Amino acid sequence: MLTPEKMSRLLIVASKDQLSPVVAELYRHNLFHIEDYVETGAEGYEGFKIGTPLSGASEASGDLVKVRSIENAFSIQSDDFEVKTRRNQSELQVTIERELPAIEREVDDLTGKRAKLDAKGKEYEQKIADITPFIGIPGDLDLYRGYQRFVVFAGYVVHEVSIPVPNEMYFAKGKAGNFIVVVAQTEHRQDVERVLQEAGFRAVTIPEEAGVPKERVDFYSGQITLIKKEIDEINQKLDAIKTKHADFLVACEEVLKVKVEQTEAPLRFATTNETFVAEGWVPSASVATIRETLEKATGGKIFVTELPVDLEHDSVPVEYNYPSFAKPAQMLMDVYSRPKYTELDPTLMVSIVFPIFFGLILGDVGYGLILLAMCLGLRKFMKGEEGTLLLKVLRNASISSIFFGLLYSEFLGFALPWSPFMFSRHLKIGAETGGHGPQIPELMILAIWIGLLHITLGRVMGMANHARQDHGAHRTKAILANAGWICVMWGILFVIWSMVPMPYMPDFTTLPTLVLTFNIASVIGAVMLVAGVLFIARDSALEIVELPTIISHVLSYTRIVAVGLSSVAIAMVINFIAIGMLIEPQLESITIVGVLFIVMGVVVFLIGHALNLALGILGGGLHSIRLHYVEFFTKFYKGGGKKYSPFGLNRRFTED
Amino acid sequence: MVADVAVAAITDVTLMKASQLGMRAIGAGLAVGLTGIASGIAEMAIGSAAVGATAENKDVFGLVLLLTVIPETIVIFGLVVALLLIF
Repeated sequence: MLTPEKMSRLLIVASKDQLSPVVAELYRHNLFHIEDYVETGAEGYEGFKIGTPLSGASEASGDLVKVRSIENAFSIQSDDFEVKTRRNQSELQVTIERELPAIEREVDDLTGKRAKLDAKGKEYEQKIADITPFIGIPGDLDLYRGYQRFVVFAGYVVHEVSIPVPNEMYFAKGKAGNFIVVVAQTEHRQDVERVLQEAGFRAVTIPEEAGVPKERVDFYSGQITLIKKEIDEINQKLDAIKTKHADFLVACEEVLKVKVEQTEAPLRFATTNETFVAEGWVPSASVATIRETLEKATGGKIFVTELPVDLEHDSVPVEYNYPSFAKPAQMLMDVYSRPKYTELDPTLMVSIVFPIFFGLILGDVGYGLILLAMCLGLRKFMKGEEGTLLLKVLRNASISSIFFGLLYSEFLGFALPWSPFMFSRHLKIGAETGGHGPQIPELMILAIWIGLLHITLGRVMGMANHARQDHGAHRTKAILANAGWICVMWGILFVIWSMVPMPYMPDFTTLPTLVLTFNIASVIGAVMLVAGVLFIARDSALEIVELPTIISHVLSYTRIVAVGLSSVAIAMVINFIAIGMLIEPQLESITIVGVLFIVMGVVVFLIGHALNLALGILGGGLHSIRLHYVEFFTKFYKGGGKKYSPFGLNRRFTED
Repeated sequence: MVADVAVAAITDVTLMKASQLGMRAIGAGLAVGLTGIASGIAEMAIGSAAVGATAENKDVFGLVLLLTVIPETIVIFGLVVALLLIF
C-alpha cells in the first residue's frame, strides 16, 4: 500500500513470423511496458538491429492523419466524447475503407469553399474601407484617374490648406481625420506636394472603382451579407455531418490508433534476420498470465523468461498501488513528481491528510456545500482524466470542509445554532460582540501539534526510505541523521515544556529540579538535542545550517489557523457590511431609497461571498498542498519515477 | 490631598493600559502590513516568471502556482505574530 506496484522484467524471444500474434496478444492485455531497444551495442545485443514495421503501417497512419484532420475541422475531442455504442473492430475496418474517403472529400469540399468565401469577404471589407473616405466628396470614383495633364492627390491632412497654384480641391472633415482631394496640373505637382507635406499629408490609394462611392459601399455590404449567409449554410452542413459521423470518426481514430501502435511496435524491439527480442516490465502478479497467453498464441514457439532486477541501475516503471479511495490524490502527486520504484509512496497519506487540512482551513458548511455542488455540477463538463481527478479531490475537500464547518459551527461566516465543538473561530466583528470570541492560542497549539506529528511522520518515512535505498555505512548514517532530526525537534520541545507551561501541551515545569535550575525534562531535552545534532553532523556537517528550519517548518503549520481565520474574518465583514450596515437599518421603515440600499446589500453579500469562496478554495487548496510539498515531502521524498505506460489501450469506442 | 493623588494615579494607570493596548494594535498592524509588503515584493518576481513559464508550457501551471505562494509564509508569520499580540 505504501510502495509502488511490484514489477518484473520480462524477456521475450521468438522467430519473426510470430511477431504479429505476439504483438496482438501483448496489446490486448495492456500490461507490458516496453523498454525501447536502442542500438548502442550493449553487451549481449551485438549485431541486433531495430525492427521494421509490420505490413499496413503506413496506410494506417495515413488514414489516422486523415481522421484526425477531419476531427480537427469539427473540433471533436475523443476524450470529451460520450461512449454510446461500441462498434465491432472488423466491421469498422471494412467501413473505414468505404466511407472515410467520401467523408473526407465532402468535408474538404465544404471547408475549402468556406475558406474561399472567407477570403472573398475579407477582400470586400478591404474595398469598403478603401472607398469609405471618398463618400464625403462629390463625384464618381472613375473621375479620379485616367488624366494625362492632371495629377490627383487624395489623403488625410492635419489642417486645412490653401494651395497657391490653380487647382480644384475638396475637403471633408471626418472621424478618421480631414480628408482632402486635390486635382492640379501636372507641372505644379511639386508645389502642391510641398504644401501638402507641410500639412502632414498621408496619401490613400485611389480605389479602382467606378460609380458613386456610397453606392459602391452599399453594393459590397450587400455582397458581404450574402457571403455570410453562404458561410452559415456551409457551417450548418458541416454540423450535420458532424452529428451524423462523430461517433464513427472517434471509433475510426481508435481502431487506426490501435493498428498504428501494433504495426509500429517492432520499431521498439531488437531483431536479427530471423528473430526478435522484446524486453519490458510487467506487474509481478501478471507474469504467469502473460507467459501463458503468449505460449498459447504462438503454439509454444516462444521463449519468455524473467530477468533479474537491478534496483540500482534499472529504471523500473512505477505504477501506483493503493486503495481506490486514494486515487484522486494521484493527481496531486503527479504535479510534484511520481515516486521512484524504491521509494515509499505517500499518495495514501496525501489522500487522507489533504482534505483534513483543507477542512481545517475552510471549515464552513455554506462554502463546503457550494463547493460540493460545483464539483458535482462540473462533472458533466470536465471529461479528461486529470479534470475528473481534480474534481474528486475538490469533492473530498468540500466534504471535509462541511464536516469541520459543523465542528466550528460556521455557515457563510454566521454561527450555527450550536456552540463550536472545536475551538471557536468566531471573531468579534460588527454586531457579534458577545459570545466566546476566537480561541486563537488554542487553535495555534492545535496547528503546531499537527505540524509536529506530520513532520515526525515525514522523518520516520525518511528513515524507512534510506533503509530501503542505501547500503553499507552510508545507510546507517542516513537513518541516524533522520532520527537525529526527530531528536532535535522533540528535544527543543522538552526544553520549552520544562520552562513554560502551555495549554494543551505537557507541563514539565513542576518536575523536580535535577541540576542547577534544570529539571529532568529539560536535561532529557538537552541530551536529545545534542545527540540529534551529532547524528545529523555525522551524515553531513553542512546540514547543521538547516537546523533553524525545524522551528520555521513547525511554525509554518500555523498557516492552517491564519489562512482560515482570514477567511472567517472576510466572511464576517461581508455579512456586517451587507446585513448590519445596508439591509437591517432599512427594514425598520421601507422607503424607495431604502429598497435601493437593500438591493445594494444583497449584491455586496453575493459578490463578497463569491470572492471569498474563490479565495478560500485557492488559499485552502494551495496552502494545504504546499504544507505537503514543502514541509512534508522534503523530509523523505525525492520522486522522479518513470510512469508505467503499458503497451495497449483501454478501448472506449470499439471492441475486438 | 491624598484622594487627589490616588485619583491621579488611577488615571495614570488607565491611561497607561490604554496606550499599551494602542501600541499592541499598532504593532500588530505593522506586523501584518510590513510582512504583506515583503510577500508582495517576493511574489512579484516569482509571479512574472511563472506567467512566462506557463505561456511557454502549460503543463507547469500547477507547479508554478505553488512556487508563487511559497513567499506567503512571510505574511502568515506576520499574521500569527499579530494574532498573538492582540489575543
